[in-house]
Formats: sequence, structure tokens, C-alpha cells
Amino acid sequence: MFSSIEDVAQRFEAQSYICSRRIATVVYLATRLEKPILVEGPAGVGKTELAKVLAHALGLDLIRLQCYEGLDEAKALYEWEYAKQLLYTQILKDKISEIVGGAVSLREAVDHIAKEDDVFFSDRFILPRPLLRSITATHRNVLLIDEIDKADTEFEAFLLEVLSDFSVSVPELGTLHAKHIPLVVLTSNNAREMSDALKRRCLHLYIDFPPPEQELRIVRLKVPGIGERLGAQVVDAVHRIRQLDLKKLPSISETLDWAKTLTLLNVDRLDDELVNDTLSTILKYEGDIRKAQDELKSYVQKQKARAASDGQDDKEFLH
Amino acid sequence: MDDKIAEFTALLRENGLRVSMAEHLDAFRALEQVGVGEREVFKHALRATMVKRSVDLPVYDDLFDLYFSALGEAIRESGEGARELLHLDEAAFQKLMEQLAEQLKNLDIDLSAIARALLENDTGRLEQMIRQAARQANAQDIRRSFQEGRFSHTAAQNLGLGALTEELERIRDLLGTADLPADVLEALRRFIERRLQDLGDLVKRAVRLELEKHDQSQRERARLATLAEKSFYYLSEDEIRRMKEAVAKLAQRLKNVVCIRKRRAKRGKFDAKDTLRKNLQYGGVPFKIQFDRRIRDKPQVVVLCDVSDSVRNVSRFMLQFVYSLQDLYSRVRSFIFVSEIGEITRLFEESEISDAIEQALTGNIINVFAHSDFGRAFRAFHRDYLAAINKKTTVIVLGDARNNYNLPQEWVLRDVRERAKQVIWLNPESRLTWGFGDSEMDRYMPFCDVVEECRNLNQLYRVIDRLVS
Repeated sequence: MFSSIEDVAQRFEAQSYICSRRIATVVYLATRLEKPILVEGPAGVGKTELAKVLAHALGLDLIRLQCYEGLDEAKALYEWEYAKQLLYTQILKDKISEIVGGAVSLREAVDHIAKEDDVFFSDRFILPRPLLRSITATHRNVLLIDEIDKADTEFEAFLLEVLSDFSVSVPELGTLHAKHIPLVVLTSNNAREMSDALKRRCLHLYIDFPPPEQELRIVRLKVPGIGERLGAQVVDAVHRIRQLDLKKLPSISETLDWAKTLTLLNVDRLDDELVNDTLSTILKYEGDIRKAQDELKSYVQKQKARAASDGQDDKEFLH
Repeated sequence: MDDKIAEFTALLRENGLRVSMAEHLDAFRALEQVGVGEREVFKHALRATMVKRSVDLPVYDDLFDLYFSALGEAIRESGEGARELLHLDEAAFQKLMEQLAEQLKNLDIDLSAIARALLENDTGRLEQMIRQAARQANAQDIRRSFQEGRFSHTAAQNLGLGALTEELERIRDLLGTADLPADVLEALRRFIERRLQDLGDLVKRAVRLELEKHDQSQRERARLATLAEKSFYYLSEDEIRRMKEAVAKLAQRLKNVVCIRKRRAKRGKFDAKDTLRKNLQYGGVPFKIQFDRRIRDKPQVVVLCDVSDSVRNVSRFMLQFVYSLQDLYSRVRSFIFVSEIGEITRLFEESEISDAIEQALTGNIINVFAHSDFGRAFRAFHRDYLAAINKKTTVIVLGDARNNYNLPQEWVLRDVRERAKQVIWLNPESRLTWGFGDSEMDRYMPFCDVVEECRNLNQLYRVIDRLVS
């Protein structure tokens, strides 16, 4: 477990995940209070990444449940392997007739079979899905429930039940309690509001786009080969783009993609042509690309003018 | 500290944040873990446990600053202000304070608690005392700015401002007899006067902060309520802008609601074919049962907006609303008319919603400065665009039906209604005036399935809500 908030931040940074003090505080609280974390925010800011990094930092397994519309109990909790059961039944047909062999009436036959039914409804034939796996795991683990906003409200209600007691009742096997309460991380893209009951259970963490300085640190950490000036220009440019009214704002992962692309192309500063060519790495809609091109054109001109007039400071780019 | 947090929680609830008892307790438990030493961590801990919606985050930040630090900062600033008044730097000021302390000892003066806190600018104690005085005066009940004076007065009395004034005057006089250079004496005298004045101001400030805290919520609520209720006719520029935001938010809310409604669509009958198909892997044994999924058709909409002067504002918002909900319809075609009619669907495909609406309303498509002639416009629609309507279409007509005594041509509406799924007429005028003067509402009404008044945002919302469900 973590010893302090600083410990959290340090261990995360050791895995190249730079987080703000707020994120570290909430993670620390979640581990101490044993409450789930509901992480909300725009796409691509590192919500799923947070869970992975958390698992790694604590040396725990990560069990992931990806949510989608129509996800139901069976796919999330467990399923019986019908096919396997049928197969076994077919193969053991002879053995079964042996067992039933002595029976005189139908009732006796059923009784004989019933005595053996826990063979077919045992651990051997159960297909544990992420939730069950997390609960019955022998060691503590991190349970990541990704994109919970895509699942429907019935699933949420069911999840609430599971998260309250961390126990599952399988009719044939009885109630299974968790030996170790997992660390639960739920992520949401804010497509819809979660139910109040679920929110009440969790600690809330909103991850927004980071401020320029932090984003620059992230870029420098994740794209080590990037030039000083280019890094600053990329971050600055992306921040300007985020001020525009776009269909989809570029997120951190897109900034990193762009940075990597430009590094691969061996550039040391942005210019018009380059920007136009590579803009599609960060913007996915035509309309957005057009708007950003206009905005960045003036920006790049200004940068060129400044470069020409000398005496520039990298710090100037981050305002 | 516990009380302060409870009070803070009450303040959050007042401002629309829904903090449950369980979450409140979580906040305490969280503080047990991280302590209250560091302000940032304290803020984050409270936020994680009590603020669960991202829309509430800015409200929380404001209230936190207002509640926990505004008064403290004001007190700190007053200390700075006193120093600047005397035109001293830090070191010189420190020396002055030492001289004061020495003199007070020499003169054997025992300061009261409040006097000591004030003269030493002990921010912590001052804040505590002022808050207590304000609470005793029930300052948290303040609701209007004209009540400020009364509460300030009571709080000042609770603080013992009267006795304090006498005490400080006495000290000032006694200092006059002390053995100090004239300028130092003068500085001390001005300092004491200033601090006394500061205290009065701080009390007033504390009361005003209470007002701000509690007034914020009401102001915001009142403003939003009136905007939604305000008739589209009487909007100022600023309100038009805010209305656009409100419409956008309303559209988003409606989309969310409709999405959830759709998901709850009832299951149909047992679907044998689908079941067999899905269970082939099990040799046809039906382990998984499939039901008919009743798919709701997305409605198709044709909107006819009257954009004559009198109705322009309403049309503007109607179009914005309808287009914001584009995802919920399979096809939207929109037309504007005054006395001629023109299609503006293409405008919305090419430009942003607001641009398209502006273009439509400035007179490029049709002559928006003509006099309303519904009959003529309808005839033109019948001639050119009747094919746009099929049995899945909902036709919405937005207009006040004021025809300038031209021919109403209501047969067009009858034809349209026969072809369409339903015809909805939205009239921005009050129902009481329908049929009077040149209003042809009574002629058009028989051929419409739904006739609604649509004068403000709430009514617009209800209509669209019914339309999509």
C-alpha cells in the first residue's frame, strides 16, 4: 500500500505517468478508505492508464471489464460453459446409462442423476468473467471497469450490488465472498450521467486536460527524443487548438502521437507545410482540421517572425 | 473544525450540490486519513468525497474559496495595508511593532484578547473571533444587501467594538506620555487608528461574504428560471446570447433523456428464428432466449418557420433546437417563409448551426421584409415541396397565423395532413389572441393534430419532448 500522497506521485512517475497532486490525493484516499474511484473526463486524458499504472505501482494484477451497451450479468459475472457440459454429457452417455441403469421408475432415475448434478455445475464448468475473477482471486487486485457510461442502467444497478458487498451468489455453488477487497476503478466518458447511488459509493476524480507545463513534462517523458523547441511548440499549438470550438478536442494521447510523428520526421520546429500535413494525427474531423489550420497559420507566422528576430526564450512559448 | 465542515456542506447543498449523509461522513473519514494541514490536499479530499458531478466543480471551487479563505485573505490584506499606510518596509515595520510591544510592557498595559490579536495581526485568532461574532449575530440568515448594515452592527457589538475603541484610545493617549521620538509616536498613533478602522471594515466584509455565499444560489436560480420563462419576444441582445446557451443545454438534456428512454424499449415476443440461430453452438438447445426487439423509428421532420419580424426570435431558437437534436431524427428538412417560401436545409449541412440561422434570417433566401402571407407561402410549398412529406413525416409549422387579411388557403394544410403522420402548429402568440384581427388560427386549427402555444423556452422544450417520444 502507499505510505503517503507523495509516495503515490513518485511511484506513478517512476512509470512515466505524471499526475497532479489532486489525482495522487484521490488515489491515496481510495486505497486507505477502500472505496472505488469514479474517473471522469474527456477521452484520452489517461483514465484507463491510471488504473494500469496503479496496478503496476502496487504490484497487483489488473482485471479489466470493458463495458458496452447490452452488457449483462452473464457476460460480466459468470456463465456456465454449456457447450462443455453438453460435450461431456455426450461423451459420458454410457457412464450415465450405467448410473441410471438400476432405476425402475422415472423418479428413481432422476434421483440418481440428481445425486451427480454437482458434477456438472461445479467450478469445472463455470466460466468466470472479470467480476467473478476479481472477487475470487487469491490475491488482492485492481478491477478496472472501463467506460461504464456505455453500459445501461440495469447493469449499473447490478454492479452496485456487487460493489456493496463484494460477494456473488451463484445458485448452484452458494455465495462466494471476496477474500481480498479489490481496488475498483471505474472510468466514464461522460456520455451520460451515472446514477446517484453509484456515485455515492465512489470517490470522484475528474481528470481534465493538463496545464501546458504539465503537458510539456509528459511529452518530454514519453517522447524522449524530442527537441526542446519542438516540444514546447507542439504543446503550445495543441493548447491553442483546444481553445477553438471543435467537434473533438485533441487529448493528451493525440499530443503524444503528434510529437512522436514529428520526431520521426526529424524536425526541430513547426512550419506551415508540416503542420498542414500532420494535422490529421491530432484532429479527426474535416471541419476541425480546417478551423485549426487557420488558427495555426497565424501562429506559425508569428513564430517564424520571432525566430527571425532572435533573442527568443523557450519560456515565451508557454503562456 | 467538524462544525465548519458541516456548515460548509450545508452551504454546498444550498447551492445545488446534492451531498448525501454518507458522502458527508466519507469527507470526515477522508480528512482523518490526510489531515487538515495542507490547504490543497484538504480541498481535494473534500472535493473527491462530496462533489460527484463535473458541472458542480466550478461551483465547489468558488464556494471553497469563499468559505475557507476569503475572510482570512481579507484579514491578511488589512495587515499589509496598515504597513503600506506608514510607508515602511518589512524590517522597519517589524522594529516599530517591537517598540510598541516594549512600550506596552513599560506602561504595564494588559491588552484584551481582541486588542492583542488586532495589533499583532494574528490572522488566525482574528478570523475566529470575527466568525464567531458574525455567527452570534446570525449573519448566515442574511439574504438581501440592505440587511448588511444591521447584521454588521450586531456583529460588531458582539465583538465588543465599543469597548475595544475605548481601550485603544486609552492606549494611544498613554503612548503619548511615553519616551519616544515624535515620528515613532505619530506612526504608532496612525497605526492604532488604522487597525481600529480595519476591524470595522473586516466585520462588514465578513457579513458581505455571508451575503455572497447565500445570495449566489438564489441569483443563479432566479436568473435561469426567468430566462426559461421569458417570452421570446422581449429578449435583449445579452439574453439572446444566453438563450442560445440555454437551448443548447436543453437540447443535450433532451438527447440524454431520449437515449435512456429508447433503451428501455419493451421487448417483443419470443423470436423463434433468432433463438435457434443464436443457439446453434449448443446443438439447438435453447440456452439463450431471444426476443423481438421493437425498434423505434426515428421520426422525420419537416419544419416550416415563419420568419417575419414579429416571430423571428422564436424561429431562431426553434431552428437551433431542432438542429441540435439532429441525431434523434432520421431526416430534417427546414423551410422559412414570410410570403414566399424557401428551403434552408442545405445551409445547415454546409455551415454551423448559428451561422446557418443567421444566413437564413438576413434575407438571402427569401425576402424577409415582406408582409406575411401564409396562404401564398403554403401554396408555393404545395406546388414545389409536397413530395417531401410522406407518412412518416411530422410537419411542424411555426407562425402566428397573422395573414394581413390575405387568402388563408387552408386546403394546403388539409392536403399536408392527409399525407403526413402528424401536423403540429406552434404559435408564439398568447392563446387569447388567436382568431382576433388578421389571425387565421381558427381556420388552420382544424387541420392540425396538435396546436400549442410556444412563447418561451419551457414550452418549446415540452413540445419537442413530446415530438421525440
